[in-house]
Amino acid sequence: MSTSKPAAPGRLLTQVAGERQTGALVVGGQPGGTVYLIEGHVTHAESAAAPGVGQLLTASGRLAARTWQAALDAGTARARVGELLVTQGHLTQGELELCVLGTIYDAAYFALAPPAAPVEFLPSAAHWLGPIVRVEAAAVAREARRRSRLLDEIFPDPRVDVTPVALVARPPVERLTITAAQWELLVAADGQRTPADLAQLLGRSGYATVQELRRMAALGLVEPAISEPAGDSPDFVRLPHARGAATGIHRPVVKLDDGPLVPVISAVGTARSPAATGEFPVTGLPSDIGGATGGLYRPPRLARRKPGAKLPKDLAADGSPVHTGTDEVLLKRIRTALRALR
Amino acid sequence: MPGVEHCLHEAMAIPGAVGASIVDYTTGFPVATTGAAPNADHDAAAAGTADVVQAASSRSLFVSALPHDLLEDLIITTAGGYHLLRLVRTDFDSRLVLYVWLDRALGNLAVARRRMQTLAAELVAT
Repeated sequence: MSTSKPAAPGRLLTQVAGERQTGALVVGGQPGGTVYLIEGHVTHAESAAAPGVGQLLTASGRLAARTWQAALDAGTARARVGELLVTQGHLTQGELELCVLGTIYDAAYFALAPPAAPVEFLPSAAHWLGPIVRVEAAAVAREARRRSRLLDEIFPDPRVDVTPVALVARPPVERLTITAAQWELLVAADGQRTPADLAQLLGRSGYATVQELRRMAALGLVEPAISEPAGDSPDFVRLPHARGAATGIHRPVVKLDDGPLVPVISAVGTARSPAATGEFPVTGLPSDIGGATGGLYRPPRLARRKPGAKLPKDLAADGSPVHTGTDEVLLKRIRTALRALR
Repeated sequence: MPGVEHCLHEAMAIPGAVGASIVDYTTGFPVATTGAAPNADHDAAAAGTADVVQAASSRSLFVSALPHDLLEDLIITTAGGYHLLRLVRTDFDSRLVLYVWLDRALGNLAVARRRMQTLAAELVAT
């Protein structure tokens, strides 16, 4: 059956497993996911919010990126990437099995968590890693439900799982004790990365990341989510909007009559980006970026300077190149989204 | 085939072993199980195991500030048996512990502890 109308993913999984089918159960929505079955047993699962086996192994440094890529190139066609890594001695069988087991439950949580989502079953679809382990579908579904409950017990607001992680500037208590995992998240959170981005970046389980973030939210360390205007936008990738000290990605509209402008050297043949030379149009940013409430960074108007002159010292220190960070996050989101489409 | 199944099989070969499992200690979920469990409930045993490991890892009493002074294993003795929990260290992110339940009369603690150390290392070492 390949219907695409919204249904409970868990129920369809149980049904397909009961019929001993082989194929892929694709769950749409955000973040969605895919559960692969062979004869009714779950052999793999993937989700945009859960780093895959490759990401886990390379981000931790266990495998060099080129080792992983070589295994992908050699093994994808016959769906035996995992087997190749073990027979070539890059990974032990135990490591591979544990990694896959972890990924299955991690991704399955995100795939099966929504009460209703567009679900479809693709018969005979197989995963390129090859069958490494077999798990009972009922156990996977049960564990996904239990994990949902665990999260709600920690902190009942599910928006923490999807909104970009912004940390409060002032903690609500005098002393804090944080775990190593929370430290990693604190260091990597830049106000624009979502929990899924952080998990991929750090090479950590998506569910464990969400769990830690809910704990941090319960401690009052995470900014409460600003309710998003568009719940149903057709964009698969949500563009980051300005929050805190970050600038929006819309480049400012330069109007000639809008106050002092620093002349941009683009016509002189040296292809230097304005940010690199320290000069940028300093008009006020359009105020309708993303509807963020008060966090827009409006650079102060600068006095006219000669071309090539440095910014005044007090402003040069402030000018962190948020533009590059923004693009990096956006590119990673696009990549994640494209992977999820596969 | 030195995979997870083999590891648990070997764990059951420890003299006095009644049950064994590999547990994810952040969620309290048994990733693989074999043999018996206390109260015939592997899920509850796994949840209990997770609680114990988290309690030990988060208290500064057991976890010093020195780098790499990591928790290796935990041994809990009850009237019903010995419960050995050995942390499995993988380079990639996984939070796993090998749990073996030993019969109180038949089990030898020193032997079991060393066997588990070997098993946990063999599972992930080349």
